[in-house]
Amino acid sequence: MTATLTERYISATIRSLKPELQDDVRAELEALIADAIEARTDQGEAADEAEREVLSELGDPGLLAAGYADRPLHLIGPKYYLTWWRLLKLLLWIVPVCVVGAVLLGQLLSGAEVGESLVQALAIGLQVAVHLVFWTTLVFVVLERTGADTGMKWDVDQLPEVQEDGAGRSELIASLVFLAIAAVAVVWDAVRGFFPTGGEPIAILNPGLWPWWIGALFGLMVLEAVFAFALYAQRRWTTALAALNTVLALLFAAWVLVLLLGGELVNPEFLSFIAQAGGEEFAAGNADAAGNGGVFRILAVLLGFGIAIGVGWDIADGWRKAVRERRVARV
Amino acid sequence: MEEFDTQLQELRRGTVVLACLQLLRGAGYGYSLLEQLGDHGFSTDANTLYPLLRRLEKQGYLTSEWNTEEARPRKFYRTSLDGIRLADALTTEWRSLTTAIASLTKEEH
Repeated sequence: MTATLTERYISATIRSLKPELQDDVRAELEALIADAIEARTDQGEAADEAEREVLSELGDPGLLAAGYADRPLHLIGPKYYLTWWRLLKLLLWIVPVCVVGAVLLGQLLSGAEVGESLVQALAIGLQVAVHLVFWTTLVFVVLERTGADTGMKWDVDQLPEVQEDGAGRSELIASLVFLAIAAVAVVWDAVRGFFPTGGEPIAILNPGLWPWWIGALFGLMVLEAVFAFALYAQRRWTTALAALNTVLALLFAAWVLVLLLGGELVNPEFLSFIAQAGGEEFAAGNADAAGNGGVFRILAVLLGFGIAIGVGWDIADGWRKAVRERRVARV
Repeated sequence: MEEFDTQLQELRRGTVVLACLQLLRGAGYGYSLLEQLGDHGFSTDANTLYPLLRRLEKQGYLTSEWNTEEARPRKFYRTSLDGIRLADALTTEWRSLTTAIASLTKEEH
């Protein structure tokens, strides 16, 4: 004999309840449904039609069961949502970026292709991000169901400082001083050298870069200085300034990376001088690192990496400030 | 009135608890209570009322016992002493709210 709709409905409702609750809820629901059906048949409705109507009105048995068991019908409720969201944002800012950077650096140092390394690092970063989201959320879902306290309380001391927009006088002065030091360092390197060689000064930058490449570098520095003044004059970051900042940063990165990859950035005389001055220990270290292309190649990768990160940050920072300015202006 | 459904539901939330506590001062069972509520103008869904009765019982505002004397055994609920105190507190609050609302419209004119 097949079960009636009512029996099926009650079974579906009590299935997920605690065992000690099941019989009681079953008996009560049987009476409630029978009463409701009876009230309809008394009005002249057909029995099976009445049963359908009554059960339809009671709705999804899962919903009813959640009511009986006092179960939340959401994954993460308002009590935990903000804590979850803040933690997730923080983790997603820090962890995948570090992982991508570390993997990329490791790949480059072991001599892999740039494109291949990038793809692999991004793939691993994506995996890490997915894992982060999943496990963090799982922990909070458990918290939501057990009702534990996260111990996170908000108070006024947590209010963020009103952020400086980085377009003030101190930023202008800092930029100009930095550019001046850099320019002097380049000239000093060529004319006097930075360390005693016991004879002719040996420049770190390749002398073959004079005059055109070095001239281009000075040109970039002048543009950077002009940009610093323009930013100071505007008193705030704009879309145009952020775009200009991006172009300048990319030009600088291109200048370094083209020379670095072509092996033209550093004076070959300087490298051989170091190898000599380092003596046997250097030769041994270089031999150890030979599998990765030698010490100088490792240093070149690290330098290129550092420049890429610095430039990337500079570009992103400019856009971030420009977007924030626009938002503030709109309010 | 359909456009204000969400707000109206929000305002009504909580009134069903008070209505149940008052109606169950004399014992009653699920389906009869549902009909009584409807008669008094508290339109309530069965699937919210039945779990609500359990919850109030768990919180100690209702007591329950099975009546097996009739052909159909039914679970009867009755407002406990705590439940009566809660009902009184809620009623007092409701009255003060009524006064407060009335004072709002008075100031308008």
